[in-house]
Amino acid sequence: MPVITVSQINKYIGFVLKGDKNLRGIMIKGEISNFVDHYRSGHLYFTLKDSESAIRAVMFASAASRLKIELEDGMSVIVSGSVGVYEKTGEYQIYVNDVLPDGAGAASAALEQLKRKLAKEGIFDEAHKRPLPSLPKKIGVVTSLTGAAVRDVINVLTRRYPVCEVYAMNALVQGAGAPDSVCRGILRAESAGCDVIIVGRGGGSSEDLSAFNTEKVAYAVYNCKVPVISAVGHEVDFTVCDLAADLRAPTPSAAAELAAPSIESLYERIDMLEGRAGSSAMSAVKSCMERFSALDARLAAQSPENRFRVNKEKLANLEGRLKTAALRCIESRNAALERNIAGLEAMSPLKVLSRGYSLAYSGSELIKDSEKIQSGERIELRFAKGGASAEIIEKW
Amino acid sequence: MEKKVSFEDNLKRLGEIVSELEKGELPLEKSVELYSEGVKLSAACRKQLDEAQIKITEDNGSEK
Repeated sequence: MPVITVSQINKYIGFVLKGDKNLRGIMIKGEISNFVDHYRSGHLYFTLKDSESAIRAVMFASAASRLKIELEDGMSVIVSGSVGVYEKTGEYQIYVNDVLPDGAGAASAALEQLKRKLAKEGIFDEAHKRPLPSLPKKIGVVTSLTGAAVRDVINVLTRRYPVCEVYAMNALVQGAGAPDSVCRGILRAESAGCDVIIVGRGGGSSEDLSAFNTEKVAYAVYNCKVPVISAVGHEVDFTVCDLAADLRAPTPSAAAELAAPSIESLYERIDMLEGRAGSSAMSAVKSCMERFSALDARLAAQSPENRFRVNKEKLANLEGRLKTAALRCIESRNAALERNIAGLEAMSPLKVLSRGYSLAYSGSELIKDSEKIQSGERIELRFAKGGASAEIIEKW
Repeated sequence: MEKKVSFEDNLKRLGEIVSELEKGELPLEKSVELYSEGVKLSAACRKQLDEAQIKITEDNGSEK
């Protein structure tokens, strides 16, 4: 058996591996570790591993320069490339052409985990949500100043609520530096004296929202001393920034509308307040006037003229009563007198004579008993009409 | 001479005046005084809205 060198055997193994179609143009799923960016050469070195096994990986500068994502330790990825041998150390490794982030699965699982953690820590609590100021003076907008979001917010506020100041705070909204930039922006807008802050970005659902799904942004929103409106512009799934914010808006324009009242409603409010001031001032004047009139009337009642008039009326009244009483008194006497006269008339002897009786007098004495007269005596007779003298012939 | 009062503060003061007037416990002279202040304030508020010009401050994020 011929003796061969280390170089020869490694070269041979390399040749064998190169010839195996199963090791060429393959895709391998795993997690990056021991990542080294060799700045001078531009080559990237890392280990790709799963729970049980690992393989060395190298990505040469030519391929690395085309990478769209930044690799880092712990990242779940799918690499594509071919397996070969590094003859110098006799190690086989994967020569990587491209790296793609591993499916949404891992990322969304991590996001759910973060949401659960933050919820447990109370970052999303309803009790912590603060009301927005009804008349904000200074509205902060933390977003990219080159993006559409800031223009949308300014357009809406210019139309709706031009009495305010907009504090447009530039922040990176994507890329590795975005979370820190957003956090800094929130702090800066807060210390600039904003009384409400809109944090977000515009754009569609395909854009990268990862900056707004970080723990530090959620905490920055939660810890902000003034209310925060999150406007990340993503309808389907709420970011942790949305959940931590005091209010969530579907778009930056909507956030601006929520942040401030409209100028029309302000005009209406002024009219209404002025009307109410007018009517309550009027009613104050009216009630004072009524009180005055009532007192004035009572005062007039106590004037000497009025007392004289009142006394005069009282006097006239008493006079009237006196007159009536006196009249009634006279009338009742008259009636009594008439009754007496009638009685008297009924008793008059003349009335008896008129019925045919006669009166006999001896001298001036009315004869009521024959014993009082003598035979032969002259008596006087009186009739109803006239009289006569007579002589007693016989008595019994 | 005249101090610049913000729209928000003017509107707030107008609201306070109205509530004060609506309590209806004020002496007449004070009511009239408050009312005329209210009228001046509402005119000032309208003028501020009429003339409002949004103010925009840009902060590019660089350290001061």
